[in-house]
Amino acid sequence: MCGIAGIFFKKSETGGALGRSLVNMLDGCQHRGLDSTGFALYENGFKGLRLRFIIDEDAEAAVARIKTVLAEQGAKLLSEKREGASLVVEVEYDGEIRPFAYAMEHAAKLVSIGSSLDIIKDVGTARDLDRIYGVGAISGSHGVGHVRLATESEVKPEAAHPFWATGFSDVAIVHNGQITNYWKMRRRLEARGFEFRTDNDSELIAVYLADKLAQGETLELALEQSVDDLDGVFSFLVSTKEGIGFAKDRLAAKPMVMFEDDDLVAIASEEVSLNRLFPGQPLTTAEPAPGTFRTWSR
Amino acid sequence: MVTLDLAQISVRDANEAMRAAAARGENIELLNPDARHHLGVGLVAPVKVTIRGSAGYFCAGLSHGARFEIESNVGWGVGDSLYDGSIVVGGNASAIAGVALRGGEIVVKGNIGSRAGQVMKAGTLLCCGNASFLAGYMMYGGRIVILGDSGERVGEDMSAGAIYVGGKVQSLGSDARLAEMTPEEDADIHAFLRKYGVAFDGVFQKIVNAGNKLRYGVNEPVSRPLPYTVAEGGTYWNAKVAEDIHAKALIGRYRLRGYGAAKAVPHFNDIALRLDPARIRAASDALASVNLKTKIGDRNGAKPLELSMPVLIAPMSYGALSKSTKIALARASKLAGIVENTGEGGMLPEQRAEAGQLIYQCLSGRLGWNIHDMLRADALEIYISQGAKPGLGGQLMAKKVTAQLAAVRGIPEGIDLRSPSRHPDIMGADDLVIKVEEFREATAYSKPISIKMGAGRVRDDIKIAYKDGFDFVQLDGLQGSTGAASTEVLENVGIPTLAALQEALDGLREIDAGTDMPIVLMGGIKDGVDAVKALALGASAVAMGTAALIAGGCISCMQCHVGNCVVGIATQDPEHEARYEIELQAKAIARFLESVRWQIATLTKALGHSDFRQLSRADLVALTPEAAAITGLPYEPDYHPEAEELLTEVA
Repeated sequence: MCGIAGIFFKKSETGGALGRSLVNMLDGCQHRGLDSTGFALYENGFKGLRLRFIIDEDAEAAVARIKTVLAEQGAKLLSEKREGASLVVEVEYDGEIRPFAYAMEHAAKLVSIGSSLDIIKDVGTARDLDRIYGVGAISGSHGVGHVRLATESEVKPEAAHPFWATGFSDVAIVHNGQITNYWKMRRRLEARGFEFRTDNDSELIAVYLADKLAQGETLELALEQSVDDLDGVFSFLVSTKEGIGFAKDRLAAKPMVMFEDDDLVAIASEEVSLNRLFPGQPLTTAEPAPGTFRTWSR
Repeated sequence: MVTLDLAQISVRDANEAMRAAAARGENIELLNPDARHHLGVGLVAPVKVTIRGSAGYFCAGLSHGARFEIESNVGWGVGDSLYDGSIVVGGNASAIAGVALRGGEIVVKGNIGSRAGQVMKAGTLLCCGNASFLAGYMMYGGRIVILGDSGERVGEDMSAGAIYVGGKVQSLGSDARLAEMTPEEDADIHAFLRKYGVAFDGVFQKIVNAGNKLRYGVNEPVSRPLPYTVAEGGTYWNAKVAEDIHAKALIGRYRLRGYGAAKAVPHFNDIALRLDPARIRAASDALASVNLKTKIGDRNGAKPLELSMPVLIAPMSYGALSKSTKIALARASKLAGIVENTGEGGMLPEQRAEAGQLIYQCLSGRLGWNIHDMLRADALEIYISQGAKPGLGGQLMAKKVTAQLAAVRGIPEGIDLRSPSRHPDIMGADDLVIKVEEFREATAYSKPISIKMGAGRVRDDIKIAYKDGFDFVQLDGLQGSTGAASTEVLENVGIPTLAALQEALDGLREIDAGTDMPIVLMGGIKDGVDAVKALALGASAVAMGTAALIAGGCISCMQCHVGNCVVGIATQDPEHEARYEIELQAKAIARFLESVRWQIATLTKALGHSDFRQLSRADLVALTPEAAAITGLPYEPDYHPEAEELLTEVA
């Protein structure tokens, strides 16, 4: 039960506003969820792979564990930084992502792996995260964000959105709604070797899409199938290295409204978020039809 | 004209300034609205409001008499529960445009989202563009005009009113049909279009209710049902089971009855007070020396309800109950210094006049819901579900849906009314936040807002209630009663009252909510002894429904749904209602409430306290393993004697 927002800049020169835009959009719909906030930001390429972990208890031991497993996996540490509740490392790693990701997840709470994706999420508001993590200053090409009102699972940083599609670098989702065939879908994916870190139904969407992409499907096809396969009420945004997309259930019980011009595409739960990008300007917006999906990429 | 700039002031301040300006008869202009929610909600004055841009959710909702013009788009629920007046939207309207429309006119120049006009009662909703799916869903009256195409299932489960579509009808909803249009109707619509300067030269298709689902087919055989679990002779295939099967073989559906769950579940009888007999005698002057006064509902700065004791009258509708009964309950609640609740069916002027304090309940069908009664109420309550039938809407059989009652509720007369099971604008906790805020804005943050919830997933639900900012919770367990529900749901859905309270307390503890949000517990609270136990466990107050009805003459026949109540309580039949003596029963209910007061005071004192808030779990023991498992109280099966027995000594 949440608010979501996403932005895609069509021209690379406008990307400087990425972090600021998403902070403002989420601040606009913060009333939809005050428990936690999160961002998936696509920056203009890291030195290697960036990994972000949530470090909550016994930080020293966790950091040591992360370094040990990085070494075991043959990842060369390029940099490390503590930021808010998280540890950010950049590594040089050429191997397969999924076994690497699972190994790292067993070492600590891994939030994201990406060559351009960084997921920043924590308890608190968009303004709080901007203050702690400097989100507003981050530039990049596109991103998605989320404000959360926890209804069933716990309030902790790792239960915040966005969810990273474990095992796939640079794929993230944010979701508003409730997937009612969660356990059925989860068991199917688990039977095929996927691991789940939370009981949050939104994580399922990320893993579901990752699975489809792993089978070589396009994002469009994966989204199309998700409208049929996922049961319940949902509006979600997915982001990859190349762009963003949305899918919406057939009941249209969860809101979604979008704005597009020559420079950008912005999608949010409420128009008030879109208007934050263009204060004082009435916008020509559209609501995606129920049971539809769409993607934008470079 | 007053110009307000939303880039400079908050929505709350803007609405405040709008009310002040409207009171002076001044027109209003809003700048930089930027799709903010709740603009102009609750405005009751014939002024013009111009919104220069887009508005968010519930724009002009709960207003009466104003003329709104929004230059661009609006979010969910434009004109929610509009009583009268007009709203013109220059752009598109999102979902549930004109939800619960009670009168007035809404014109949307662009497209409208899904479920337009859901549960509307009267008035006109015009969409100049295309409408998404389920337009006119569960509408009870009024008209929707769509000049463009309509999406799937237009007119789904509408009871009355009409939908006119100028473009393509993608598909008709359940129980909707095409109908002939009279020249008068056509002329009337064209006159309406001209009034708003809208050109249209196409041909309309008219959609109305097909009449197949307004009534149940075959009536149930009349019988006095035994409680569901009463077995004759201790056999499995007993007479009760056979009777039930025979009835279903005749009607082919679930059976209805009134009252609460009849099966035995762990309850307050399974808990005893840890009472030192030596203290009992000292409790004789308890009423004078124990503080029972309490305030409830000021968590967000609203004016709280002030109760002479931690007891409320449970929500019961005018509809399920006769007007006379509602008057008696209101009068008794005033005599006792407590609060009465409207339940689902709207507020009666007589009830308002008689009740000292009154909670006004908002349900999914928005039956009788309007801004004027909101302003007259002492507190507002959003009903999500109830203990007797969690997840389902109210049921009122045709016999009770009289002309007078239908007028109060804004629905057609003589239908088997099945209220929607969920609110049109509350699809989740996020929407609920926005709904609560709408009510606060409409009433200038002056009224406490509570949530009524049945006991399902209480541990999760209570956290949502807390985060959504409710001032208090009315929590209703499995044993809660109703005027009509299926026996399947009554007996088998939900968790017992005792478990509901414990889950609620655990849930609040898990999020460190403290005692910030009081819990009013209901569902089988029969007297002050149950009340003391509930208070000691952690409830802030209790509410009584069935007990108050029995005190006021109910004979517990369980036939509340039929509408032929022989004592004039659960009926709308004037002949039956005439048997109900309002003054006599009001006094009986009030006397019963005094006995409850005496029990709470005496037991509180006997337990060594001077204020009911000092009651705690340390005052309780569980007599059964089930009650101990549910509550976590120590299991002391040998604990004797019962407090009730001790009290008789005092008397």
